[in-house]
Amino acid sequence: MDGFGVSLAFWVLAAITLVAAGGVMVSRNLLHAVLFLILTFVGVAGFFVLLSADFIAMAQVIIYVGAIAVLVLFAVLLTPRASRDNGETRWALPGVLLSVCLAAIFLFVIHDTAWKTRDGVPQGLSASDLGTALLTTWVVPFEIASVLLTAALVGAIMLTRSPEEEAEDALA
Amino acid sequence: MTPLFLTSDRWYDIRDLGNLSRALLDAADKILPGGVVYVLAALIGFVASFLLFVLPSQLIIGVYGERRIIGRMQSRLGPNRVGPFGLLQPIADAIKLIQKEALTPTQADRVVMYIAPIIFVMPAVLLWAVIPFGENMVIADIPVSLMYFLAVSALPVIATFMAGWSSNNKYSLFGAMRIVSMAISYESPLVLALLGAVVMSGTISLSGMVAWADEYTIWMVFVQPLALVIYFICVSAELNRTPVDIAEAESEIVAGYLTEYSGMKWGLFYGMDIGYALAASGFAATVFLGGWTFFGLEEWVPGWLIFIAKTHLFYFLFIWTRGTLPRLRADQLMAFAWKFLLPLGVFNLLIVSTERMLWAEQDYAKGLIYVFALVNIVLSVGLVYAWARFNGYRPERTPTRPRLVKQAGGYIPVGERP
Amino acid sequence: MTGIIKSEPFVINIGPQHPSTHGVFRIKATVDGEKVIDAEMVMGYLHRSMEKLAEERTYTQNIPFTDRTDYLSSMSNNLGYCLAVEKLAGIEVPPRGNAIRVIMAELQRLASHCMAVGAFANDTGAWQTPVMWAFREREKILDIFEVTSGARLTCNYMRIGGVAFDLRPEFEPMVRRVLREFPPFIDEMEGLLSENEIFIARTKGVGVLTPEMAINSSLSGPMLRGSGIAWDIRKADPYCGYEQYDFDIPIGYNGDSYDRFIVRLEEMRQSLKIIQQALDGLPGGPFRTEVPLALRPPKGEAYARIESPRGELGYYLVSDEGPSPYRFHIRPPSFINLSALKEMTVGGTVADAIVVLGSIDIVVGEIDR
Repeated sequence: MDGFGVSLAFWVLAAITLVAAGGVMVSRNLLHAVLFLILTFVGVAGFFVLLSADFIAMAQVIIYVGAIAVLVLFAVLLTPRASRDNGETRWALPGVLLSVCLAAIFLFVIHDTAWKTRDGVPQGLSASDLGTALLTTWVVPFEIASVLLTAALVGAIMLTRSPEEEAEDALA
Repeated sequence: MTPLFLTSDRWYDIRDLGNLSRALLDAADKILPGGVVYVLAALIGFVASFLLFVLPSQLIIGVYGERRIIGRMQSRLGPNRVGPFGLLQPIADAIKLIQKEALTPTQADRVVMYIAPIIFVMPAVLLWAVIPFGENMVIADIPVSLMYFLAVSALPVIATFMAGWSSNNKYSLFGAMRIVSMAISYESPLVLALLGAVVMSGTISLSGMVAWADEYTIWMVFVQPLALVIYFICVSAELNRTPVDIAEAESEIVAGYLTEYSGMKWGLFYGMDIGYALAASGFAATVFLGGWTFFGLEEWVPGWLIFIAKTHLFYFLFIWTRGTLPRLRADQLMAFAWKFLLPLGVFNLLIVSTERMLWAEQDYAKGLIYVFALVNIVLSVGLVYAWARFNGYRPERTPTRPRLVKQAGGYIPVGERP
Repeated sequence: MTGIIKSEPFVINIGPQHPSTHGVFRIKATVDGEKVIDAEMVMGYLHRSMEKLAEERTYTQNIPFTDRTDYLSSMSNNLGYCLAVEKLAGIEVPPRGNAIRVIMAELQRLASHCMAVGAFANDTGAWQTPVMWAFREREKILDIFEVTSGARLTCNYMRIGGVAFDLRPEFEPMVRRVLREFPPFIDEMEGLLSENEIFIARTKGVGVLTPEMAINSSLSGPMLRGSGIAWDIRKADPYCGYEQYDFDIPIGYNGDSYDRFIVRLEEMRQSLKIIQQALDGLPGGPFRTEVPLALRPPKGEAYARIESPRGELGYYLVSDEGPSPYRFHIRPPSFINLSALKEMTVGGTVADAIVVLGSIDIVVGEIDR
């Protein structure tokens, strides 16, 4: 992972991602915050590309930007107007204190760990490796996850049915 | 990738324009320092694919050709005043849009409104980075090109949403949300349809698909006709084209997400609509129609010409359905996606996985794929018909002619003889 | 756990500027999410006070007014008015005049239904392809009108006692051409639209009008016939010699927009039959009885009605033996047909409301007069 281009890409992506993450916290308008979140996701996808995990990078964009960000947008929009302001709150000071403590813990751990670097280009995870893993070693969590998602889908539909539609269903 | 046919490596062999660009880059590498040649490669790629091919195609075929063809379908001439045969019409449109005043409402969110068209342009440009025009003519031959397409097609959804929200107009927000929900409903069948193609060819990269088509001398469309049909419908929905264009149509009533856009901002939306449609057509041509190969013709005719012809052929299908079919209602659209297309995609995946397994056991015999093609065509037709009937589609119950009576009488209920 | 996500009803305005060609007409729809809860019609944008103006003019001078009420079927409007005046004054029309009147009225029905069918398909979203094809056929009919009366749209051709001018020699070949080229066009429209899945999904079950509702709202025309009621004034109360022609009345099945569409298509076929018979049996002789310029009909009142392309068009005239009518009232079919709009749209979506409005086939000129 050497080369001028790679280092440049890393620093640029890091800057974009961190600025976007900061924007999520700082922006007053909730929708601006969501848009910055999308930028953060894209930055993380860029990091995956740097690590030669191309499948995961694309999956990151498809899932996070294409589905989860849209979900967050819908959720933000369907709530009443009053809570759309990312405004002042009395939890600001405790939040800051907590994040300073967490940051301190992380920094100590990062400093004290013996990081081993590996030479050469990292072995990316190819799609076929992932597929094999998902369907042989990790098949049970895979199936449970799909059942969970189906349950969530059915539950969401149930929540939004109006009373007369429910009555219709009960009779049919 | 092993050379599949007889090309020379000389720079003047235009059957493979990659030779030309490679010669240029080699020459440049001797002059320029370090990694700057990569930037030059990207630049050449961008100029060659986007500026020289896509933009003129977009303008000529997309703006001018589409209006002329739809005009002929409606028994009228299309634009034919500006320039010879009206060919300068897109230029005239572009000039008009540029000099128009792009109004922004005072209460609207200016920054987001400004950025939305830019994000909308991105997929139309980014997609051309992975599509192979010829053997060495891919800008970025990544091993997951198909997923790149899916990833990039998530961006217009966000751009649409930003456009609708920043207009500060209750109805454009409403319209934008409806479009976003439609776009994400049609993403699932799209992925399933493409998954069928992936399973059959065993590779996610586009160059791999073209190599598969060349090796087994069959196009994916014959092996997976249902996948192509589902892909076509879903991509029409992603592109907001008729018959699923509730963006433009419902805007009669709910003032869609584009109302507050005028001038070149709207022009960007409109133009990149066509650009993205061309990219989707190019993508379909690569995956389903065999890319730049044509059963051996590519030794004589340059591969990129074949590819361009196939792209435009597929784009003609878009124009054709736009000129002919009426629009579906929004809730009918979503019902269609979830209840009809998604199960069809799942069935298709089941069939294709079984066939791939059988094929692997036979050590990928070449003759077997033709058998699979025949079986798949028959099965697709049967599956569509059976699933439609299962969903309650009974065409024989709809009479297309009214009853005729001779005398003016009273009320004649349905079922009695008039 | 239901009802947690509430949506608030809000009022949107459909109109007064429509993208489709129905004219300046406004519906204030109260919409809850997707469903229409209430629809209130606001009309009057095109009011030109024709009925009052007619009291200042002689009977013959009022004929151009009737052109402009329902500007898409001017020949039929003229015909109704002339019938009312003839009833009031007791004037007989010669058989040639009657035959020419019948041909013109049926040609006008063809032209108006072309427009109605095309605009309806446009409302469902078939991006103007059916409109262009329908207008291509309508051009032939408008050329015939121009040759005969001098104007394409507001013809002002009927006179009290007959028609204004005799038929020119170019008339018959042009009508024969229409008779030859129209049936393939109707087949084309059927192939494109009536059997089109998307069109059927868009229009079937949309705007259902039960027969009781239709009769209670005193509807007429294709709306009434689409609900299964066999009532056509040409058969029930014939005028202008319609009883001598052999034609059928198409009636629908369920009273939804699709039925009204196919009823209109079939009516076009029947009109072609009538024109064929009238043209083949065109009698000779005078085409108009002479009537004084300032006609003074005896005191009384008369109501005459015809089957215009939109329904029953009625004219009510009261005379006080002056040169101008004392009272001139038009019973416009579109205005009466609209009274059923609310029942048809409530419960559907906004897109359905547009489709229903297209299937009623209104012309705002005659709603507001």
